[in-house]
Amino acid sequence: MSGDPSLVNGRPLGDLIRQIVAEVLVIAPDEVQPGSALIRDLGAESIDFMDLVFRLEESLDIRIPYTRWQQFLRVRLAGADLSMAITPEVVQAFAEQEMAAR
Amino acid sequence: MAERVAITGAGAITPIGCGYEAFRDGLRAGCSAVKRITAFDASGLPTRIAAEIRDEADDLTRWVEPRKATKLMSRAALFGVAAAAMARKHAGLDRGAVDPCRLAVVMGAGGMGPTDLDLLATQAGAVIDAAQAGGSGGWDIPTFARLFAERTNPVATLRGLPNLAAAHVAIQNDARGPNATITTACCAGTQAIGEGLRLIQRGDADVVLAGGTDAGVNPVAVLGFSLLGTLSRRNEEPGRASRPFDRARDGFVIGEGAGAVVLERQTFAEARGARVLAELAGYGVSCDAYRITDERPDAEGAARAIGLTLSDAELAPAEVEYVNAHGTGTPMNDITETRALKLSLKAHAGKVPISSTKSMIGHLLAAAGAVELVAAVIAIREGFIPPTINLDVADDECDLDYVPNVARTAAPATALSTSFGFGGQNACLAIRRW
Repeated sequence: MSGDPSLVNGRPLGDLIRQIVAEVLVIAPDEVQPGSALIRDLGAESIDFMDLVFRLEESLDIRIPYTRWQQFLRVRLAGADLSMAITPEVVQAFAEQEMAAR
Repeated sequence: MAERVAITGAGAITPIGCGYEAFRDGLRAGCSAVKRITAFDASGLPTRIAAEIRDEADDLTRWVEPRKATKLMSRAALFGVAAAAMARKHAGLDRGAVDPCRLAVVMGAGGMGPTDLDLLATQAGAVIDAAQAGGSGGWDIPTFARLFAERTNPVATLRGLPNLAAAHVAIQNDARGPNATITTACCAGTQAIGEGLRLIQRGDADVVLAGGTDAGVNPVAVLGFSLLGTLSRRNEEPGRASRPFDRARDGFVIGEGAGAVVLERQTFAEARGARVLAELAGYGVSCDAYRITDERPDAEGAARAIGLTLSDAELAPAEVEYVNAHGTGTPMNDITETRALKLSLKAHAGKVPISSTKSMIGHLLAAAGAVELVAAVIAIREGFIPPTINLDVADDECDLDYVPNVARTAAPATALSTSFGFGGQNACLAIRRW
């Protein structure tokens, strides 16, 4: 995974995130739209975020302790209503942070 | 006079058919569903046959809403949810027809080992690598813990909890009343329905979704029961392997599936104009308190469970018109059960038709009692007694009428269904035409 950091195995990171979110929530990838709230719009529950982080680890081939996701939310979405605020873009920003920290 | 409890719906996921009608037709046809195992490569196992749910399994997700819920379900949980949904539809019990807080769930569940092959592979891999790290000192637990944590999706660990079948049934049906899981192995499905009966009699619920579910066709369960010496090894003749009461029987055959019934307080069922399939008339339960894998040779525990059921249902032995036997096909069970029926039904044991539907669908473990109660309901409703197939020459000590090989036309007004589990747990249910 050298070169453009927004590509994973030659694939745009945004595409990969959309696919992972769709797999986690057992919906079609085109149901995952920019700005979709994972909890309110797409029906995510707490266990789904553990599933999400696990799948990110596998797809990006890096270790991501779940606590890092929780810490990321505390900082990035401080005070926000999580049922509305966790979107594919937030997940992508987290993935980028973890890839950069590798 | 105490209110009666009505069975108003029945659902079944079985190797000879899914749904009330398909199961009924399979029971009448009297064919074996036992085949070579396809769920995994069983070539290294002493027993390589089972009764599987095949083509229908994928399709069962249509009973689940939203579809995402299936991700958190073990195979057994999916079977249980589908059977409960079928039973509810069969009962015509619409959403909103019952106060969610008065709707209870009791499920028999909890088979042996993980049914999720991916989780099993992950665990095995972590153990192997931890053993290498541990060298001659055995496997290194900290290494195992680290590898397991790295490699295991948390979702996979959730699927293994036995209480989640009942939880999923509750979520799917907005059942906010009492919710319980019975884990008495082969006795669980019968006990779950019996405890459902008690919930209504105690006034804790108006409607109960009760049943049992299991998915024992996986390497851990097949190997586990093999090691205990309980499984048939008639690998070359799968369709002939499950042969309860037959002289040549050599153990049971694992099956998988689920059964569920809708139980309703009499006045509740009448007020909504429900069609009643049968009365759930009695329940009895006991324990041998003897040995884990041996039944009491005098059959006292099993006989007492049957006797308690008769008293509970206010039935005289001579009023019993059909017995769906536990009838596993192990050398011990069939002899002890025959003895128990003679003790509890006295001379009538020689006159009543007794059959083991395990001869066709195998032993569904925690689901067995629930599916077999549905079979007993079918016998009362549909005018025939399901056969015990593969019964060519009965064991000398099995000398009752086991309805050999062909379904028998009859119109039983009452029936018993028996279940006996490893650990000595014994349970029995009685039903009566409404």
